[in-house]
Amino acid sequence: MAEERLRVDALVVGGGIAGMQASLDLADQGYHVALVEREPSIGGKMIALSKVFPTLDCCSCITTPKMSAVAHHENIHLFTYTEVKTIEPNGGSYLVHCVEKPRYVDTGLCTGCRQCEYACPIDLPDPFQMGLSAHRAIRVPFSTAVPQKAVLDIDHCLLCGKCEKACPVDAIDFTQGPQDLVIEARAIVLATGYETTPRDAKAEYGAGKLSNVIDGLMMERLLAPTGPYLHVLRPSDGKEPDSIAYVQCAGSRDETLGVSYCSRVCCMYAIKQAMLLSGALPMADITIYYMDIRTFGKGYEQFYQNARAMGIEFVKAKVGRITEDEYRNPIVRVEIMEEASRVEERKHDLVVLSVGMLPAYDPRPLYGVPIAEDGFVEAACPNIAPPMTAQPGVFAAGTATGPMDIVDSIVMAGAAAAEAAAYLERHDGEAKTYAGRSISMGEKEAIHA
Amino acid sequence: MNAKEKARERTTALKRLREEHAETVARTQALLKEQQAFRKKLRAAMKGGPKTIPQIAAASGLPSDKVLWHVMAMKKYDMVREVGRDADYYQYQLAEEVAE
Ligand SMILES: Cc1cc2nc3c(=O)[nH]c(=O)nc-3n(C[C@H](O)[C@H](O)[C@H](O)COP(=O)(O)OP(=O)(O)OC[C@H]3O[C@@H](n4cnc5c(N)ncnc54)[C@H](O)[C@@H]3O)c2cc1C
Repeated sequence: MAEERLRVDALVVGGGIAGMQASLDLADQGYHVALVEREPSIGGKMIALSKVFPTLDCCSCITTPKMSAVAHHENIHLFTYTEVKTIEPNGGSYLVHCVEKPRYVDTGLCTGCRQCEYACPIDLPDPFQMGLSAHRAIRVPFSTAVPQKAVLDIDHCLLCGKCEKACPVDAIDFTQGPQDLVIEARAIVLATGYETTPRDAKAEYGAGKLSNVIDGLMMERLLAPTGPYLHVLRPSDGKEPDSIAYVQCAGSRDETLGVSYCSRVCCMYAIKQAMLLSGALPMADITIYYMDIRTFGKGYEQFYQNARAMGIEFVKAKVGRITEDEYRNPIVRVEIMEEASRVEERKHDLVVLSVGMLPAYDPRPLYGVPIAEDGFVEAACPNIAPPMTAQPGVFAAGTATGPMDIVDSIVMAGAAAAEAAAYLERHDGEAKTYAGRSISMGEKEAIHA
Repeated sequence: MNAKEKARERTTALKRLREEHAETVARTQALLKEQQAFRKKLRAAMKGGPKTIPQIAAASGLPSDKVLWHVMAMKKYDMVREVGRDADYYQYQLAEEVAE
């Protein structure tokens, strides 16, 4: 059976900001890159954020051009909705077997017009909006998705054919199945990112059952101009909240959850969101319950001081429990740790859990790359070359290696690209078939398996 | 492949998908039925002018968090419009009533 094989210099796994940056940095140097993303669009977590600390730049405005640059770069082969299944060493390179999941949409024909989405009768929780609003079984994942193509979720499809009838270009294709693809790569960059601590992780905080106790990513969506409600409203009844509280370290520095580390971004994103809320809801009271405020980056401490000056209330306190009253207002039981420690119960309209970062992917089974005690990719030489892993030719970048913000993810992606490029140059002679970039790189060829 | 062969291939593929996904299709059909029943009550409660989420919930007897979710879904797909404000709440109205 003929199998499609793509020869490239580097495979990048994960199309968040780190994976996109590593791909672009390698591609700009003339290396051919295959970027494999498991979701139907690249962009990672960053494309769902509202604005970024400390500059308060619009996140979509920064991320969308990068996504577009990746999709249009002549040296980048982009595979979305694709997962790596197996990897075998192949004399100086890796043979990476991938499966592209069926979209049941011919992407060559689909124009992203969304008529199929409007025709589909079923509403499902939209993960891009953190479940706060709906999307359909067939949909374009979000307004700035790359590629801007529809994808059908077969597990929630009625197979009613309404999308087929609505599609003006006959792009719906129920005959599609998983597509095998083999990528031969001389180096690999893992940029598989992070997940957040689940909102239901702590029984004391309502175990995800209190609708007005949301997490940081949900608030990002509420604040985004493309958010689920187009306003900041609380999920229980659509009220514009007058009083909003943040609970810091809700999932970090917490041995009961097995997360002993600091997630590094939560203080800053809470401060950022509090500032954005002050703009969106000028009359609202905003309180941040914290253990310590950690503002480690350039300009971060000033950002924090600006927030204090804006009137955001910072309360050094431990939150022991969150319950709700009969109107579903969250009641926060706090131990205030100021001069005289005391326990208080405070009522708010909305509570935001500043959830921490967890690794999104275990690279051990497929890549043989060890993980550290915290579950993130272990650096082989943390002080000399942080992106290097214990596997030759395999590098890691961004939050796949540990909690970090966007600036650090981008810096590390650049470092991973530089390490990978140096590795490719060092090993040019060894792998003769790959030596002349101009001859063999990025060529697709059929092999007979 | 000519049009006839293409149509045959599509029919075979759909048949196979219906067999393979019988369980998920049945589950989704049940969900659709539930959603349609919910929407019927919701639409009835929304008739007659702009309303806030608590007002729609009170008029329909449906839980307000689910009312909000459905109203937002309907708004996204142009079936509902946001038309004004009443104190801390926005008001919503069925799109066909707004157009009238
Ligand atoms: C609420 C919140 C607000 C934040 N606000 C800010 C801010 O204002 N400023 C700031 O600097 N930072 C902020 N951050 C941090 C920021 O989100 C991260 O630093 C950044 O997004 C990390 O990018 P990444 O590419 O490493 O990971 P991700 O964005 O997680 O990307 C990883 C990608 O890899 C894909 N992937 C995972 N596993 C696989 C696999 N096996 N195969 C293929 N693909 C895979 C994923 O689908 C994803 O697309 C915030 C974080 C949170 C939680």
